[in-house]
Amino acid sequence: MTQYTICVFTENSIGILNKITVIFTRRRINIESLTVSETVRKGVSRFTIVIKHEKREEVEKLVRQIRKIVEVLAVFGYLNDEIVYNEIALFKISTPMGGKALDIDTINRIYKAWVVYWELDYVTIQKTGTEEEIFDFFRYLKPHGIIEFVRSGRVAVGKTPQGLVEYLPEDQEWEYYL
Amino acid sequence: MSKEIAFMEEEIKIEEVKFLSGGQALMECFVAEGVDTIFGYPGGAIMPIYDALYDYTDRINHILVRHEQGASHAAEGYARSSGRVGVCMATSGPGATNLVTGIADAIIDCTPMVAITGQVASNLLGTDAFQETDVIGITTPICKWNYQVTDPDEIPGILAKAFFIARAGKPGPVLIDITKDAQVKSMTKPFEYKPVEGLLGYHPRRVPKMDQVEKAAELINKAKRPYILFGHGVLISEAMEEFREFVEKTDIPCASTLLGLSGISIDHPNYMGWLGMHGMYAPNVMTDQCDVLIAIGMRFDDRVTGDASLFAKQAKIVHIEIDPAEIEKIKKTEAPVIGDVKEVLNLLTPLVKKGDYTGWKNEFRKLEPKEKEAVTDRDLKFEGQIKMAEVVKMVSDKTKGEACVVVDVGQHQMVTARYFEFKRHNSYIASGGLGTMGFAIPAALGAKMGAPDREVIAFIGDGCFQMTIQELGTIAQSKLPVKLIILNNNYLGMVRQWQQLFFEKRYSFVELQNPDFIMISKGFGLEGEKITERDQLSEAIDKMLAHDGGYVLEVVVEKEENVFPMVPAGRSVSEIRLT
Repeated sequence: MTQYTICVFTENSIGILNKITVIFTRRRINIESLTVSETVRKGVSRFTIVIKHEKREEVEKLVRQIRKIVEVLAVFGYLNDEIVYNEIALFKISTPMGGKALDIDTINRIYKAWVVYWELDYVTIQKTGTEEEIFDFFRYLKPHGIIEFVRSGRVAVGKTPQGLVEYLPEDQEWEYYL
Repeated sequence: MSKEIAFMEEEIKIEEVKFLSGGQALMECFVAEGVDTIFGYPGGAIMPIYDALYDYTDRINHILVRHEQGASHAAEGYARSSGRVGVCMATSGPGATNLVTGIADAIIDCTPMVAITGQVASNLLGTDAFQETDVIGITTPICKWNYQVTDPDEIPGILAKAFFIARAGKPGPVLIDITKDAQVKSMTKPFEYKPVEGLLGYHPRRVPKMDQVEKAAELINKAKRPYILFGHGVLISEAMEEFREFVEKTDIPCASTLLGLSGISIDHPNYMGWLGMHGMYAPNVMTDQCDVLIAIGMRFDDRVTGDASLFAKQAKIVHIEIDPAEIEKIKKTEAPVIGDVKEVLNLLTPLVKKGDYTGWKNEFRKLEPKEKEAVTDRDLKFEGQIKMAEVVKMVSDKTKGEACVVVDVGQHQMVTARYFEFKRHNSYIASGGLGTMGFAIPAALGAKMGAPDREVIAFIGDGCFQMTIQELGTIAQSKLPVKLIILNNNYLGMVRQWQQLFFEKRYSFVELQNPDFIMISKGFGLEGEKITERDQLSEAIDKMLAHDGGYVLEVVVEKEENVFPMVPAGRSVSEIRLT
């Protein structure tokens, strides 16, 4: 099974997520992770969807069928080596009195993770990185007792000199947030 | 002082200006789009729209169906016979869900349709209100586009978009769900309808890229044994003339898919017949012999290819298609040409050369006696009980192949495709992709509305007839002179045939206790006749054709007739059976 990252640009309107996911459902493809947010262009959303599949041609067919949705402006499919990608994870670690002390130096320097919130009996640590890096860190923290662990979906940009937004239809006066 | 009075007067004036209600705005959209016919059924959540319609009956003809499924199939029939967008309406909840089969049918057969559904008031959405159903959720996978309107101001823009999407590129169904408050409330601005000509995310390519056309031409010109398969796309694109010119210039043999039938006259010397599971022998097996396969406006459906991995595997494929998602969906393609069939052929025909394919065409013709002997002669032997083929052939002869034929789904559908000799375009209206039993009665009445000057004749099985039998009432009430022919073998014939051939004759639930169809028809107010003997057939058909108004002719046919040729499901076309 190969991992593919599919970036979808859509109009930001009600029900688009459903319109996209029914195509995965019909083809019996499971969504491993999903991130959606509005882009810097007003009214345009960007989906980053990670799937696993054995056949590249089937993923290409999926991409073409997503493109058919009227509200979809552009779709791109990538292999992992064609993109820079990251996720974010939050770990809630218990810090009881007399428990094993957290080695913040290692956490900061080796794992590039940060304590973002703390109370008397727990801390919350934030770590960004690839799936593997996050799970490496998970294994490191495990002996401390992980009360809660949550991982975001992937965000990704292509390893090309252009940005994907440049492929969006040009005959439109775009409004920008920034 | 006088200034103040003037100001007050102006204010009063502003109050007097009343903008259109949502329901009225919808009617104005229909008028602006040139919609002359709507098939629908009223109900609670769509009553304000029907109230608005009451004032538009001089411009819009509303056909009151008996079940919403009938409305969606009738809209399909209308669209298929006229080439225009079919419009249907239903209320929320069960009304909307009853439309679903016709919408699913329309998407798979690329039929332009706009469906309007009423919805509960927007403040009740999501509360399980009376007759509330998530119709947007239900129809998302089967609509080209759908949208829920909650503000009457949106109506003109959304309807313009709906009609554009339904028509553009590969046509399909669009559903617009309008909440009851949006139907009642007045717009806050004057009504203005601007037709949509393109959308940000949807701008299907009509004119192909020239390099694709050139590559296709090169492949075609080099071919020794080229073969054209054409489908519904030729008819949808209204490219029948361009297609005939392309065929005649190149002299390449051609065959149609089921929905491509009537795309070219049946007597054309290059027309070899149609192919597919129950298609003709030569067109099917010759897919294994060609070196270049030119697929025009077709999508390699499994009922055409059988086992797709073995289908035409020796051939290089040129695929002319408007929808990029269809390219290589099923078959590897050497030369895809994305564009509208008409536009593509306009550019391609000047680049192709006439070839000498006399020997190649003869190879098709040489196979014809084999099919004639094994199938056609047996179907038209005129012995024993009446066979479906005789009925179809006789109707075809008596109407000189000019009628617009609507069929339901099953054996009679295949027999009609085999034996009706189509002389005019858009003459075979069938549920091809979805295979919807119950399609024919409503589609026939819709087809008649779409092409009032044509003789519309439907061939319907006894099983199918009972699925939408209530639409006889619609035909009677709307006084539509539609001719319905029941080919009654008292079986679900196609399923029975499969059970005979592949399930050791275990006839599991395929025999029907049929009602007296003619008594039912008369009950609905339609004339009709039932015949059982061959010598009654000719006179009965004459009587039907001469009758001024809707008519039902029931012909009792051979009970266990099988349709051949047949490519067993999932097998290679080379395994085609003649008996």
